[in-house]
Amino acid sequence: MKSRVPYVFLALGAALLLFGSYWGLFIAPAEQYMGNVQRIMYVHVPTAWSWMLAILWAFGCAIAFLSTSNMKWDSRMEAGVEVGVLLAFMLCCQGAIWAKPTWGVWWDWDPRLTSVAVLLVASLGIMALRSFVDDPHRRAIWSAVATIIASVDLPIVYFSVKWWNSLHQQQSTPNTVSSAFYIPLRVNAFGVLFLMIGFIWLRTRVAALRLRQETAIPHGYEEAGELA
Amino acid sequence: MNGVIQGGWEFVIAAYTITGLAFVIYGISLIVRLKELRKHD
Repeated sequence: MKSRVPYVFLALGAALLLFGSYWGLFIAPAEQYMGNVQRIMYVHVPTAWSWMLAILWAFGCAIAFLSTSNMKWDSRMEAGVEVGVLLAFMLCCQGAIWAKPTWGVWWDWDPRLTSVAVLLVASLGIMALRSFVDDPHRRAIWSAVATIIASVDLPIVYFSVKWWNSLHQQQSTPNTVSSAFYIPLRVNAFGVLFLMIGFIWLRTRVAALRLRQETAIPHGYEEAGELA
Repeated sequence: MNGVIQGGWEFVIAAYTITGLAFVIYGISLIVRLKELRKHD
C-alpha cells in the first residue's frame, strides 16, 4: 500500500494556491506604478523560489547518487529535474507576460532571463540524455554529472540581478515588498512549494517503477539464469 | 499619461491561466503514468 502523503501535499498546495491567488487578485491593492499587472508577482515569485529548490534537490540527489550508487537517488534526481523543467517553463511564460506591459518586450537577453533560459535548456538536455542511454547505471552516472554541472548556473541566476546591471528587479524579500503584499505572496509560496513536493514525490514513484520494470528479469528467464 | 500602467488584467489572467493549466496538466500526466506503470507491474 503506497502512502497517500504526496496527494495530501498536492491537495494542500492547490488549496493554498487558490486562496492566495484569490487574495492577490481581489483583496490586495494594485501596485503604485505597475497597477494590476503587479498581481502576476503572486504566482511568478513563488514559482521562482520553488524552481530553485527543485534544482537544489536534483543537485543534492546527484551528489548522493555519486556518493552511494543507490539508484533511489537517481529516481529522485530525475523527478527533481523534470519538475524543475515544468517550473522553469512556467517561470519564463509568467515573466514574459509580466515583461510585455512593464518593459515593452516579451523577452530581453538580460542576465537574469538568460541564466534561467540556460538552466531550462540544460535541464531539457539532461532529460534527453536520460532517454538516449539504455544502461541504467551509466545513465544515472552521466545524468548526475550533468545535473551537477548544470546546477553551477543556479547561483548565477540568483546573484545575476546584483552582479550585473539588470532590467529585472532585485530579489523580492520582506524588505523589497510592501506589507500589503505579504499575505498572498507567502500563502502562494507555500502553495507552490507543496505542489512541487507532491509532484517530485509522485514523479519519483514513476521513475522507480520504470527502473524496476526495466531491470526485471523477463518471465521464464529466471531458471535459465540459475542454470547458467 | 501619469506613469502608471492602466488596465493590464488581460496579462494577469493569462499568467494565472498558464500557471493553473500547467499544474493541472502535469498532475494528470503523473497520475496517468503511474496508473499505466502499475498496470504492467
